[in-house]
Amino acid sequence: MKKVLTTCPYCGTGCMFYLVVGDDGTLLGVEPSSEHVVAKGQLCVKGWNAYHFVNHPDRLTQPLVRKNGKMEPASWDEALSLVVSKLKETQAAHGNDSVAFFSSAKTTDEENYLMMKLARAVFKTNNVDHCARLCHSSTVLGLAATFGSGAMTNSISCMEESDCILVTGSNTTEQHPLIGSRIIENVSKRGAKLIVADNRKIRLARLADIHVRWKNGTDVAFLNGIMNVIISESLEDKEFVKTRTENYEELKKTVANYPPEKAAEICGITPEEIIEVARMFATADKAMIVYSMGITQHTHGVDNVKSCANLAMLTGNVGKAGTGVNPLRGQNNVQGACDMGALPNVYSGYQKVTEPDVRKKFEKAWGVEDLPGEVGYTVTTAIDAAAEDKLKALYIMGENPMMSDPDLNHVRKAMEKLDFIVVQDIFPTPTTEYADVILPATSYAEKDGTFTSTERRVQRIRKAIEPIGHSRADWEILCDVAQRAGYNSMKYNSAGEIMDEVASVTPIYGGMSFDRIDQVGLQWPCPNKEHPGTAVLHSGKFSRGLGLFSPAEYRPSAELPDSEYPFLLSTGRCYFHFHTGTMTRRSQLLDREERFPYVELSPEDAKELGIKDRFWVYVATRRGEVKVMAHVTDVSKKGVLFMPFHFEEGPANLLTINALDPVAKIPEYKVCAAKIRSAY
Amino acid sequence: MKLLTIQEVESFLKSIDSDYDVKVPVNLHDGTRAIGKLNEGSLAIAGGRIPQKITNVFFPQMEPVLTTGSEKIELPKPLSKSLFVVGFTAQDADCLKFIDRFYSENYRDDIYFNKRDGAVIVCVSGRCGADGEFLKIAGKNCDLELISDGRNYLLAIYTDTGKAVAERAGGVEADGSLLQQLQKESDALSNDDLELIQKASKLLLEEKVPDEFWATISDRCIACTSCNLVCPTCTCFDVFDRKFDDKTRRYRIWDSCQLDGFMREASGHNPMGTENLRTRRRIHHKLAADPTRWDQITCMLCGRCDDVCPTGIGIKAVCKEMVAKYGSA
Repeated sequence: MKKVLTTCPYCGTGCMFYLVVGDDGTLLGVEPSSEHVVAKGQLCVKGWNAYHFVNHPDRLTQPLVRKNGKMEPASWDEALSLVVSKLKETQAAHGNDSVAFFSSAKTTDEENYLMMKLARAVFKTNNVDHCARLCHSSTVLGLAATFGSGAMTNSISCMEESDCILVTGSNTTEQHPLIGSRIIENVSKRGAKLIVADNRKIRLARLADIHVRWKNGTDVAFLNGIMNVIISESLEDKEFVKTRTENYEELKKTVANYPPEKAAEICGITPEEIIEVARMFATADKAMIVYSMGITQHTHGVDNVKSCANLAMLTGNVGKAGTGVNPLRGQNNVQGACDMGALPNVYSGYQKVTEPDVRKKFEKAWGVEDLPGEVGYTVTTAIDAAAEDKLKALYIMGENPMMSDPDLNHVRKAMEKLDFIVVQDIFPTPTTEYADVILPATSYAEKDGTFTSTERRVQRIRKAIEPIGHSRADWEILCDVAQRAGYNSMKYNSAGEIMDEVASVTPIYGGMSFDRIDQVGLQWPCPNKEHPGTAVLHSGKFSRGLGLFSPAEYRPSAELPDSEYPFLLSTGRCYFHFHTGTMTRRSQLLDREERFPYVELSPEDAKELGIKDRFWVYVATRRGEVKVMAHVTDVSKKGVLFMPFHFEEGPANLLTINALDPVAKIPEYKVCAAKIRSAY
Repeated sequence: MKLLTIQEVESFLKSIDSDYDVKVPVNLHDGTRAIGKLNEGSLAIAGGRIPQKITNVFFPQMEPVLTTGSEKIELPKPLSKSLFVVGFTAQDADCLKFIDRFYSENYRDDIYFNKRDGAVIVCVSGRCGADGEFLKIAGKNCDLELISDGRNYLLAIYTDTGKAVAERAGGVEADGSLLQQLQKESDALSNDDLELIQKASKLLLEEKVPDEFWATISDRCIACTSCNLVCPTCTCFDVFDRKFDDKTRRYRIWDSCQLDGFMREASGHNPMGTENLRTRRRIHHKLAADPTRWDQITCMLCGRCDDVCPTGIGIKAVCKEMVAKYGSA
């Protein structure tokens, strides 16, 4: 038996723990790290169970190639030769941009870096993106525009020292449990004020000083209403606004149109609630905003994020401990996948592909010519392009669009139209069903590398066991593909060597190396080998110089309830499962906890419809209908349904709408119109 | 009684490594203390209780129960070498005594006793706790005890099994006065926690704690299940099968009464179906049900659930709130 220090593969909190490895190479458990700065000897239920799926018999262990419509076992040589020849043929026939690459927030920094290097240096396309598009693309753009850097401004430890925490659109104790627990501790022991602005009565709402249950999708009106009160009551931080920001007059003009009465009417709450929140937030010494998908997954997601940034700047709550705008990243390495440039518009470290000097720098570093300068497809627009026959081939690493993307019937049509699909994953998924080639990858427990947590902390994962079957680490597969495609500058002896290359071309990661983060990870920006890392961003000066107030007008969501579809359907995750369920549904205790697809509805609605708890119901939208189990709970407000998207047999995303934020291209997972009926 | 330097303790442990499966407190990669083999990290005997429950050497988080092939059923085999486990605190030894009883009194759990039988239990106590804390001297429920005087360790022998192996230890003979002095310090340790938990137990047995109290606790419970998973007297497990091409292997894993699925019936009905009931159960079981069933409170005050709970509602913290609210009634 041995114990190997690694980082949790679930949410972005970034807890480190030890994997317990049996003498036969099977994982037998986890032990929390008592020395780790975030875990502090603690874990959530998913962390405690994070060993479980690794040895599941369903693991993909052998490359598979479609022959006569059936997936047949193949050698690595055969499978990879086919991948390269098909991608090359497609590009020769339809152009470089007829091929797209989906990278993965589940894989390491090194692998995301290599995926974007493969797309750009080898296949000469910027069509590379990953699931951050579906969760925090609005954050990356919204905070980059206002602050100059699209990441969580503060550290997790700041949750312990804030005097007022506004949690909006984040079910923190379920989705980032060890961040949620710090909020609970701060509120119950230190007496911090807690404002929960969320339609659902989440656990934090039970402990909140104020719980605002606004109508889903009215975030901008709510935040503008708060800022209106702050300005009209002269509660703004005048010194901060004057010395640290610009464009204040525009903000003032916009929010002047949102007096509390008007904002409250839009939001379906009382003016007093808005006034109370404004006063509580603005008068706190150190106030912070914590948000997640409830803010970002809207057709106005970028506006929501900018409005959060506006509120923080207006009250001087940026650049110091216990404050800030704190988007909580959902995946273990979604921060890192963005940092590594697995995005269609930037290389690693957010260096723009449209800037000739940047392209030149990467051409030199990678030993290539003619890197493409046009921004590529996003995850969402790539699916649209496939449906329109503009995209012909797709290489998917560790993503599951047939579960995770909106309007699955639309995704299915797109997948069916594609000429060639490669899926590299650890388990069969609804997406692998459409693959022409399946490449078996190793899990986090079978490889080395780094994940970057929500607080920008770059941390090690370590190989604890040998690869299952014939699976190979994603980075090894990508390097092999590159070489077979005739590119010889993607050869590494170890994951550490890849990080050294990342550091050499990525200023914010300039000081990173496996040696430096051997025990404790470092927070970027960390520009050189002596730099201690950065706990709080924008201290003294914003990344862009002055913070830019970016006022936004309220725009209604794309599809609101009507007489035919009278309910508002919102989607998300539950505590025990993770995303498309690939790992948690293969973990005994987690799957036992939530075994069936379900919809949450309020006791009032259930009574009216004659639906009882655990009854089967049909939920339908204009896209389709699914059969799920009813969870009757006061977590849901009357008129609102909530469905988690983990369940293949009752996929919430069959119902969601493919309506995108115009800038970030993030889908509106949080609002669409639905109806519900008993299945009996 | 022998007095050993830490180097002599280490030499002693190494000298028996070929005859026993020696498990000791070690510092893992980032300094986390855990039970491991001598070569897994530097020896870390001092420092107080091991963060994870030390009884997991006999009842690990996951272990095979049986394997079925095409013809026969294979059961886990007894260990080829007996375990020699160093690092129990006095409270841990009390916990071990209880789970030995639990796993043998009615149905004898062979998988547990495959590892437990023949194992040598070594407690660590004295002036070697975390941050200078004095660790209570066990004096029982173990085979040997290493009692620290702040620098060296007295090797106390309590059983014939212990005596046989302790003969191999080096060190010098110490007179009885050192042990007497250390015992005095141990006896002088505060009994506040014990009194607290006894008061809480009494309140529960007398049904003086209303449902509203459990609501205030369960509001803060994020169902991480850590309290159960680190508790040395938690014995519940779930069973599941993994079906491979050529065999099916049945495993058991630690379970948690804080999960809805723990008691949910196939129908979907759950007699323990609310957070309040589950939170109440966790405390009630150790402090009210077990005193009735086993004639003892089964929280031995090891302190792990209080350390590991992310929201500060470990058993001592809850008892403190309970006694403060209802103790005077």
